[in-house]
Amino acid sequence: MTNRQRRPVKNPRKKPDILIERGITYVDYKDTALLRMFISDRGKIRSRRVTGLTPKQHREIARAIKNAREMALLPYSTRPR
Amino acid sequence: MPRHYELMVILDSELEERTVAPSLDQYLNVVRQGGGVVEKVDVWGRRRLSYEIAKSFEGIYAVIDLHTEPAVVAELDRQLVLNESVIRTKVIRLPEPKAPRPNRRAAA
Repeated sequence: MTNRQRRPVKNPRKKPDILIERGITYVDYKDTALLRMFISDRGKIRSRRVTGLTPKQHREIARAIKNAREMALLPYSTRPR
Repeated sequence: MPRHYELMVILDSELEERTVAPSLDQYLNVVRQGGGVVEKVDVWGRRRLSYEIAKSFEGIYAVIDLHTEPAVVAELDRQLVLNESVIRTKVIRLPEPKAPRPNRRAAA
């Protein structure tokens, strides 16, 4: 009754940390190839659940994506519906 | 205290691409007179915009790397925006490379 079971994790496999792998300490908003890995095909920023980034990395990536969007390097959400 | 900045400009794609560098350079005189250093001017050239800006799907991109006082970049940005062929600008302050964080208490 009290001991609630945690929701089973479907795939607990740790995702590779792309940023550390590539030795990226500063996420550049001009690096659209990198940033595209963190947006969906609709142009939305992927959640941390999906990307497996740390909170700090996620904020940095999100900031960079938003900067890139302002300079039309990346789309704002496309095909609205 | 001079800071490291990166300035990105999107220019009207109607412009002649080879005139871009010289005309940008004129603006950069503000920086030189203000005691700053222009490290690099990188004209990317014509590039497709991700969405329409000012009825255009293309723009000429340029990225400028500079070290200068905050007030000087602000002035440079202000002057650029006044120019009609400048579609968009963005100033980013880059992290200082391997800057040893001075102890604030010791410095005070």
